[in-house]
Amino acid sequence: MSDTPSEAPVKSILPEWVRGPQDFVGGLAMMAVALFALWASSDLQGMHGFSFGAGTAPRMFAVLLLLLGGAVALMGILKDGPHIAAYSWRGPLFVSAAIVFFAVAIRPLGLVVSAFAAFLIAALGSHETRWLEAIIVGACLTLGCALLFPYVLGLPMPMFPRFLIQ
Amino acid sequence: MELFANLAHGFAVAFSPINLLMCLIGALVGTLVGVLPGIGTIATVAMLLPITFGLPPVGALIMLAGIYYGAQYGGSTTSILVNIPGEATSVVTALDGHQMAKQGRAGPALAIAAIGSFFAGCVATVLIAVLGAPLTKLALAFGPAEYFSLMVLGLIFAVVLAKGSVLKAIAMIVFGLLLSMVGSDIETGASRMAFNIPELADGLGFATVAMGVFGFAEIIRNLDHGAEMDRNLVQQKITGLMPTKKDLADSTPAILRGTVLGSILGILPGGGAVIASFAAYTLEKKLARNPSRFGRGAIEGVAAPESANNAAAQTSFIPLLTLGIPPNAVMALMVGAMTIHGIVPGPQVMQKQPDLVWGMIASMWIGNLMLIIINLPLVGIWVRLLRVPYRLMFPSIVVFCAIGIYSVNNAPVDVVLAGAFGLVGYWLIKHDFEPAPLLLGMVLGPLMEENLRRALLISRGDWSVFLSRPLSAVLLAIAAGLLVLAVLPTLRAKRDEVFVESEG
Repeated sequence: MSDTPSEAPVKSILPEWVRGPQDFVGGLAMMAVALFALWASSDLQGMHGFSFGAGTAPRMFAVLLLLLGGAVALMGILKDGPHIAAYSWRGPLFVSAAIVFFAVAIRPLGLVVSAFAAFLIAALGSHETRWLEAIIVGACLTLGCALLFPYVLGLPMPMFPRFLIQ
Repeated sequence: MELFANLAHGFAVAFSPINLLMCLIGALVGTLVGVLPGIGTIATVAMLLPITFGLPPVGALIMLAGIYYGAQYGGSTTSILVNIPGEATSVVTALDGHQMAKQGRAGPALAIAAIGSFFAGCVATVLIAVLGAPLTKLALAFGPAEYFSLMVLGLIFAVVLAKGSVLKAIAMIVFGLLLSMVGSDIETGASRMAFNIPELADGLGFATVAMGVFGFAEIIRNLDHGAEMDRNLVQQKITGLMPTKKDLADSTPAILRGTVLGSILGILPGGGAVIASFAAYTLEKKLARNPSRFGRGAIEGVAAPESANNAAAQTSFIPLLTLGIPPNAVMALMVGAMTIHGIVPGPQVMQKQPDLVWGMIASMWIGNLMLIIINLPLVGIWVRLLRVPYRLMFPSIVVFCAIGIYSVNNAPVDVVLAGAFGLVGYWLIKHDFEPAPLLLGMVLGPLMEENLRRALLISRGDWSVFLSRPLSAVLLAIAAGLLVLAVLPTLRAKRDEVFVESEG
């Protein structure tokens, strides 16, 4: 569970009076989310009489989040806190790429092709991947899913590329 | 006795072949994820949510429940044999369990963990059955104001018992509440924050967000540390499962205390199984005549936390089934599963869906029985699974999740959204925001809004209803008191201590 970054703190681009960059940036981001929600719900009806309009609750919670985000950011200024942890790019990039590829490919290419390809793309996310092993496991997984979802669970989905079946 | 009639009905439901099968699958999957480090219970239940879509509702919930308490059994195996907790709830078990294994007593440690879990599971099952009906009656007397206050109390409890900053946890809850507002307004039907995207008209799918924030985010985070985890398995063969007479005599009181403590902490919102195991271990250490034995292979140090986490995992169903309020993130996912099947959680569930409630309660006892068989004689198989490297596991999970989300609505957009929430979750972890309160907020959001609106409509816009109705006032007062206590420095230090002890 512990998530302490082991790397030496990167030189911060934040001004020196920010003593806990992790909280400071986190709080600011929450405030941004709240402001976005306020803007997004601004066209909704507010209170009329004593009954809530569609926009009342979202705006209420957005204001609350704005205050809480502000408080978290303030803590980042007042108290010493951890630096922003180092991000790695490889895992997030390839896992996301696999997910997006699957989403785009499932309709035109079907489960078999998109699942297998997504497996291999995701496997790029770790430098420890051994390709022969990954291909074998990927193939087995694809086969398993191709049996599990449509047949055992009865959830229909396209199996093979559209141009092959037509 | 109504209770026995209900239980008999429950067993009749649970013993139907399909439900027995679901229970077995749940127990097996639970043990599997419990044994494998790097896959948490929350993530697994989130991953399997879409799959339950094609199953009958009773079977689906029986299976999901089985995963939750099954993971408590499985987690102990990894803790004892590998010294890596398979689950957060088994962190403390590793302290003494692994020492026992090193001394060649892995067998008795595993056996006591399983026996303790089984005993605790039986007690908790009875407790749910006994407390269910009266609590439901109480809940039916609740008006919207009381309900709203109860949910506030539940969320505050969750914040106070959770790890880390109270302020940030509350921010996460409110973030979750905001996310739950996306989609159509329940009363006016107006589209809220959906930006005319048709897939958002029904709101953000709960399974989608949960899978992103827990499933994908956890994978990405694990990849940070390098896929290969250090696994120093205790290699020698496990011989002699049977504990000695002395072991049994030493662990019986510990099991009893762990069960009681776990049952109480399970009902309280927020902590659930994780905090129960910590608390039970601390209690044993305080009570022991010779505390220095702990950490060197004291069998009580295995018996108490393992009983406590299993008891808590099961009693946390009580608030869910009687009040419709999930006390922790896994229960929030159960709410999601119920909603997928068109069941609105709340006190009416017990009357309208007796099959579901009593079937599930009875299945817990059956599941515990299955688990003790799955875990003790078959322990060798589970240990072998630990040799599956993470580099092969993580792409499999990614693909499996992607297919799962797609299958819910046949919507590719859902898959992309889950991926986006995966990155959000990764960012949250990096900034030390806990994602669990977010999930609770998201589940409780619609309920809170509805009850708030109703309460204010009935009181003709007068906000003081929440304080003028006695029950509601008491609930809010407790919530306020807890919050004050949580921010006080002395208690904070204690609270952090509880969590620190285990992380070494």
